[in-house]
Amino acid sequence: MRVLVAMMLVITALTTTVIVLAERTLTRRVEEQLQQSFLSELANVHRSQELRQAALLERVRTLVRRARIHAAIEDDALDLLYPSAKDELRDVMDLDRDGAPAHPAVYSLRAQFYRFLDRNGKLIPVLPPHGAGELAPVDESRLPLPQPPASAVQIGYLQRQEADGSSSIAEIIAAPITSFEHGTVIAALVLGFDASALVEPMAEEELRRGIWLDDTLHMDAIGTAQRSALSAAIRHGLGADTFPEGGIRQTLAGEPHLVFVKQLNPGSLYPPAYDVYVYPLAPLVAQKSRVRWKVIGVGCLLLTVGLTISHYLSRRLTLPVERLADDSVQNRLQREKAEAALQSTHAELQRAARFSADASHQLKTPVAVLRAGLEELRSSDGISPETADEIGALIHQTYRLSSVIEDLLLLSRMDAGRLELTFRPVDVSQIIDAALDDLGAQPDADSLTVATDYARGLSVSGEKKYIALILQNLLDNARKYNRPGGRIELSAHQEGDEIRIRIGNNGHAISGEGQSHIFERFHRAAMGENIPGYGLGLNLARELARLHHGDLLLLRSAGDWTEFEVRFRAAQPSSASVPHT
Amino acid sequence: MALCSHFISIKALLVSAVALLASSGLQAGIAVEGRVTLPQTRTVAVPTQRYEIVAKGGTLAVNPPLAVVYLEGRFAPPATQPTARMEQKNLIFSPAILPIRVGTRVEFPNLDDTYHNIFSYSSPKRFDLGRYRPDERPIPSQVFDVPGLITLRCDIHEHMRALILVLDTPHFVLTDETGRFRLEGLPAGKYVIKAWLDSRTLREQPIELVDGNVHRVDFP
Repeated sequence: MRVLVAMMLVITALTTTVIVLAERTLTRRVEEQLQQSFLSELANVHRSQELRQAALLERVRTLVRRARIHAAIEDDALDLLYPSAKDELRDVMDLDRDGAPAHPAVYSLRAQFYRFLDRNGKLIPVLPPHGAGELAPVDESRLPLPQPPASAVQIGYLQRQEADGSSSIAEIIAAPITSFEHGTVIAALVLGFDASALVEPMAEEELRRGIWLDDTLHMDAIGTAQRSALSAAIRHGLGADTFPEGGIRQTLAGEPHLVFVKQLNPGSLYPPAYDVYVYPLAPLVAQKSRVRWKVIGVGCLLLTVGLTISHYLSRRLTLPVERLADDSVQNRLQREKAEAALQSTHAELQRAARFSADASHQLKTPVAVLRAGLEELRSSDGISPETADEIGALIHQTYRLSSVIEDLLLLSRMDAGRLELTFRPVDVSQIIDAALDDLGAQPDADSLTVATDYARGLSVSGEKKYIALILQNLLDNARKYNRPGGRIELSAHQEGDEIRIRIGNNGHAISGEGQSHIFERFHRAAMGENIPGYGLGLNLARELARLHHGDLLLLRSAGDWTEFEVRFRAAQPSSASVPHT
Repeated sequence: MALCSHFISIKALLVSAVALLASSGLQAGIAVEGRVTLPQTRTVAVPTQRYEIVAKGGTLAVNPPLAVVYLEGRFAPPATQPTARMEQKNLIFSPAILPIRVGTRVEFPNLDDTYHNIFSYSSPKRFDLGRYRPDERPIPSQVFDVPGLITLRCDIHEHMRALILVLDTPHFVLTDETGRFRLEGLPAGKYVIKAWLDSRTLREQPIELVDGNVHRVDFP
């Protein structure tokens, strides 16, 4: 399950990353494509414009070769210039017989007016009557070239003032008239075409078109605010040497637009004019959002597929885990088996302990019977004092035997966990007093010096008889293993919640190896061969101390001094009568 | 071209002879010969080799350069109207320059298979013959009664150009291509002899013609 969640997280993260990247890439591509299509559309417009200009130029080139025009200029017959041109240019002029424009709004190959410039670029005035097309004097004054006409055609744009006060854009083409004989320019023919199509919105896609001329934007159907914003953008764009080829972005009326600007008449002697195209980017935005939704859709599909796959994979991956789990179940079974075996072992142990207890019990009776028989025998008549001493020694042995049996019985009960302690506050100083009394009663205790240091009223939690047994054992050892004239020190004090009783004695120290075994059952230190004992005392004392939640430690055994410490829990007033098993 | 020049020369001589006979009787033997230093052949690249008339800085000239040498003075009008021909053949005018006496009728036969439309915007004689075919009869012609230089053009063939130099004298001759000329049958007396090189270059020298002499005049 965790694997599945992790995989799903990874898949989701990956898919999201992929979606984000794909979305970004795709939208960028869409933008590029749209920009490309804009540019190619622009290129198409420019190409058709170039074709139109090429066609115009071809016509103009034909016109400027006309013999009558040449004759009028070269043969000193300027009076015949316009009248001749009227005939010669009839085809190219967009005028009907009365001299009025026939198709005023057509941006075509038809001219609206024409004028001639002399070899210095100055206007050759029109003499009436003429058919050279009406032109306001202010507009006519802008036709002359600032210098003698070059051998190349000059293209310019002119904002015409109409009689009714309106204005229109005219495209003017100044074609040089070159002498056939010597190839120099002798005059120029200026033809004016209606260029209002350049400033009208294009038919499709709300594409706007205009002309930037004399620092003024000429564009139909555009609001004042938009016009000024656009003008500022164009002015800024043209501030650099060339307008950015990819166009510039400009927000108009809250919608993003792409603005392209290209000079219409590069290299011309006439003032520069710029073609302005304004593309709305709203379709781009719409297409972008379409692409985004498509990507998100595909992404969701991918995510679903990914999650399904992850589910499947996680199943594949969790199989071994489940197998592991199965194995662990088997392990558990084995453990349970082992535990069961342990249990049975324990039971056997218990049985053994019970057996030992039973055996001890069964042993006590014959020993008691034996002792009673011996005592009876000793007290009977006719027994010599030597025999009586012998029997006395045997009786003493029975006491030892029953003491051993008692200890074994106690140990076996402890082993079987059947020793039940009744925890009570026990005045340990009283027990010490009693134990010291007993010690003093021992035959060999006279030569020993006993030093004590314990406070009255030290109280431990436990069962009195066992605590006494512990102390008896320890004091007994201190006496048995002491050297003659040796010293026994007993001190007791409270430390934290523990009562610590130290019992030290002179005598041979226990060897290093022996120290690790002294608490083992039936172990007797090597140096104690001639010392009575059966190796149960320390073991019993430690087991009993631990049953009291205390412990028995060998503090040190070095040189002439061996010291043990037994620890008990100090009695708590509240724990006065808590039974414990 | 050479043929035409020849033809013109003979014709001019005949005309001169007739004039001399009419005015001062037969005083044959007076002649002027010499050489006009012609301008270097122009090296201006021209659109086609057919061009016969060149212009530079508003100057019209014949290419290759030829000069017209004529004697200026007061001479009696001709008894009959002289005529001359300016042909249109192979899409060029022939000759490229035609000196004529005032009052001469010049015919413009079309010897090509196509239309021609000869016209002149030159102030001494403006005319427009309109389009006509080779079989146009009578042959279109014009009478040139004002002295001066006339540029002939064809409205259809823009490159076609020819000059007609209308002179108020019967004594004129066209040099050869090296500039040599010879005027014969001249009347004795004080005159001014002129050499027309192009529309802006006219050289002149006073000359006193004496009977029986062959005068030498060079226009350097």
